[in-house]
Amino acid sequence: MKNIFRYILNPFSRRDKGLGEYGAARKDESFWANTKRQFRKNKLAVWSLRFIYVLVFIALFADFLANEKPIACGYKGSTYFPVFRSYAVDLGLANWQSDFQNIEWSELEYDWVIYPPVPYLPKNQDEKNIHSVSPFGDQDIKSNFWRHWMGTDEIGRDVLSAMIHGTRIALLVGVVSMSISALIGIILGAMAGYFGDTRLKASRATVIVGGIFLLLGIFWGFGSRSYILRDSFAISLVSFLWEFLLSTLIMIAVFLAGRLAAKPLKRIPWFGYRINIPVDIMVSRLIEIKLSIPTLFLIISISAIVEKPSIYIVMVIIGVISWTGIARFIRAELLKVRNLEFIEAANALGFPEWRIIFKHAIPNSLSPVLIAVAFGIASAILIESTLSFLGIGVPAETLTWGSLLSAARQSPTAWWLAIFPGLAIFLTVTVFNLAGEGLTDALDPRLKK
Amino acid sequence: MLKYIFKRILIFIPTLIAVSLLTFVISTNAPGDPVESMLNKNQGGEGQASQKLATEKAYNDLRHQLGLDLPIFYFSFTNATLTDTLYKISKGNHRNTLERLAYQYGNWKDVAAYYKAIRNFEMELYYYIPRDEKTKAAIAKAKDYTAQLYDKYSDSDITFVFSNLDYIFTSTPALKDINGPYNALKRNYDDLIHKQNILNRYIPVIHWYGFNNQYHNWITKFLVFDFGMSYQDKRPVKSVLMDALPNTLWLSVFSIILAYALAIPIGVRSAIHKGKMRERVTTSVLFMLYSLPNFWIGTMLVIYLCCGDYLCWFPAPGSDPIPDDAPFSYKFTETIYRSILPLFCWTYASLAFISRQMRGGMLGVIGQDYIRTARAKGLDEKTVVWKHAFRNSLLPIITLFANVFPYAISGSIIIEYIFQIPGMGKLTIEAIYARNYPVIFTTMMFTATLTMIGALVADILYAAVDPRISFSGKK
Repeated sequence: MKNIFRYILNPFSRRDKGLGEYGAARKDESFWANTKRQFRKNKLAVWSLRFIYVLVFIALFADFLANEKPIACGYKGSTYFPVFRSYAVDLGLANWQSDFQNIEWSELEYDWVIYPPVPYLPKNQDEKNIHSVSPFGDQDIKSNFWRHWMGTDEIGRDVLSAMIHGTRIALLVGVVSMSISALIGIILGAMAGYFGDTRLKASRATVIVGGIFLLLGIFWGFGSRSYILRDSFAISLVSFLWEFLLSTLIMIAVFLAGRLAAKPLKRIPWFGYRINIPVDIMVSRLIEIKLSIPTLFLIISISAIVEKPSIYIVMVIIGVISWTGIARFIRAELLKVRNLEFIEAANALGFPEWRIIFKHAIPNSLSPVLIAVAFGIASAILIESTLSFLGIGVPAETLTWGSLLSAARQSPTAWWLAIFPGLAIFLTVTVFNLAGEGLTDALDPRLKK
Repeated sequence: MLKYIFKRILIFIPTLIAVSLLTFVISTNAPGDPVESMLNKNQGGEGQASQKLATEKAYNDLRHQLGLDLPIFYFSFTNATLTDTLYKISKGNHRNTLERLAYQYGNWKDVAAYYKAIRNFEMELYYYIPRDEKTKAAIAKAKDYTAQLYDKYSDSDITFVFSNLDYIFTSTPALKDINGPYNALKRNYDDLIHKQNILNRYIPVIHWYGFNNQYHNWITKFLVFDFGMSYQDKRPVKSVLMDALPNTLWLSVFSIILAYALAIPIGVRSAIHKGKMRERVTTSVLFMLYSLPNFWIGTMLVIYLCCGDYLCWFPAPGSDPIPDDAPFSYKFTETIYRSILPLFCWTYASLAFISRQMRGGMLGVIGQDYIRTARAKGLDEKTVVWKHAFRNSLLPIITLFANVFPYAISGSIIIEYIFQIPGMGKLTIEAIYARNYPVIFTTMMFTATLTMIGALVADILYAAVDPRISFSGKK
């Protein structure tokens, strides 16, 4: 039990004491065990990882750390758990009790009450403490519990609460956008690296008919459904994701139908002739195009055309744009891996190509992707805070670290608006960079000699 | 070598075309109407028919002058509900509504008839001369409601507008004269709803427009360096760019030189003295600098050092431009004085990054056998480091050179926003806010070209540094 707890706290802790500090990799040591051992040598990286855990904790439990609603309270003789209830209400599983509809939570007279440590939400405007009240200055509050420990902004919003909920946004941006770019980057990069320019062959029939059907699939999946997609986004993110999934399925189904349709055509000699598909050239061109436009520039122009700005759109845009780094890493890795024996063996066993790529080649070349993801999260957080700082793409009512910082430009005397969010961005970016650095050292075979 | 350069330049072409297409797609999908923002006229429900026609004529003329009345691209790939002449409808919001209606009911002819009927009815309202105040108010209201029809596509919204109009007609008997067009409009809407042909949305159609389109006109002009007219101030984009470019160029070139000049020795030194206390401190400081967001540092510097409420060491951002007739020495010192903070913000991050790369490259080289051989030969440390190791560790630095230009432009966006410098970055941001496509296009293409040139220069430098790489023979 104690060990499990320790492992959760610190998966890279030193458990195998038998190994010397600079001992070579043990023969029976797995790749990841070796990586962990290398990683652990880097004190700074280990501490960064612990700091990331803290950030993740804050992000996960932001609602319990800073909220206008009590965690638990007694009201008119019964006990309530408003924060838990709010999750159910948000999911549409329950409604607010009639006592709690359209009320100011802080003004109710409870029998007893347990508040979160910070009794504010970022959207709450404390009318008694507007015009950027300093954390050390006089605050018009009931008791020290209601103190704004990091001050307030121009319209009386609590900065500490905005910082806590901003952590959630920042991490969400990092994780979501990196998942998207990892997905795109791994698939495209692996295809480019594995097939190169000469290895992917397909008959003319497949290329021509498949191409036409792919176009049709995009048309039926996305073109014909464009308004459905747009309307669903206006309703909620979940319904949009559902419609998007449906569109993608339609596209894939039509494409597969195209492949079936191409089969009989292959008997005609001209159509049956197998031609090369230069995947590597295509992907490399795509990467080059993306690299020739400054990232920030591209993201700003794309987010400027979004009619209804939302933080999720920003995440998607960052994710879709920053896949090139991962793609390049995994392409280079697969160029090496594809010539190794176990791939040859898989080929000799007659496994289909997709199975070799996804089950054998990619899992054995993921380690550089981890590094790219760590650095990528740092840069995604940086990009998002830059965008909010410029006031682009993120709606005004969403308070993020970047938008707090831009509020500091309007009220220069409020140093707390500049220091705290800036420090938060800096520390978060630094720990992710340090963790990435630690991973690089741990995975880089050159340093292991 | 020349052959290689020529080949590379040939490869530029498809990339540039792709970039231009991307920019074009982005800007044609942008919301907002550039013509309207240029005219800057409010179209209220008040006004006479002649006035309305004059406004519309001005709108159409300007649209024609900007070339926005042409089809967007060589062809369009849509569903069968749409006609190929949709682009001829001048107002963007009308186009969107019609597109949506056509999608809902699948019958372009009826949509067109409905649109014509709205237009007819609206003009009747404008031509109508009210005899008393009550009728006048009713007409104004009716105009408002009719104008709403141009934006409405859902059935409930449209019937709601119709019910409001019905109410106006029943409560104002004087409006009897224009009952005919109104009923025609309602009839047309009924037709539209009842003659649905939804299958049409699933039939793909390709319309071919030929070469007289917006993209073609723009790209052919672009090739002869005619960048069009800026929507914001109605000046040629070329001169707008020429005003902004020197400010950015001066800062970015100086910052690049500074960054490289400082980063290379720092990187080399920290690699040679790896493990020593002083070098570890340098490395950590550089790492921190690398992660410090420059918009934070910039904001703090502006707040605390630039004559805000705190210290007044540097001029406030956006202070008056230096007068042209000032003596050279004054101009020179003033320019330097004003550039110190932006330059610092711009340089420190790239300085940290480049020196880390340099350190990495150097570390990779310094452990090699030939360095040991050089030392064993009795060469002094200076020669070993700078003559043997340095040249071979330059490769990662050269790769970075390809990214210098896009980085300069990206960096300028933030720095110029914070320090209010009228350069490329500020110009770009403002152009994006104002949907000023010609400027956006031009800066985007400009940076893309610069980046590709940077990549080419990097490749050539590669060959110069590393004799193993040769472009002439086989690889």
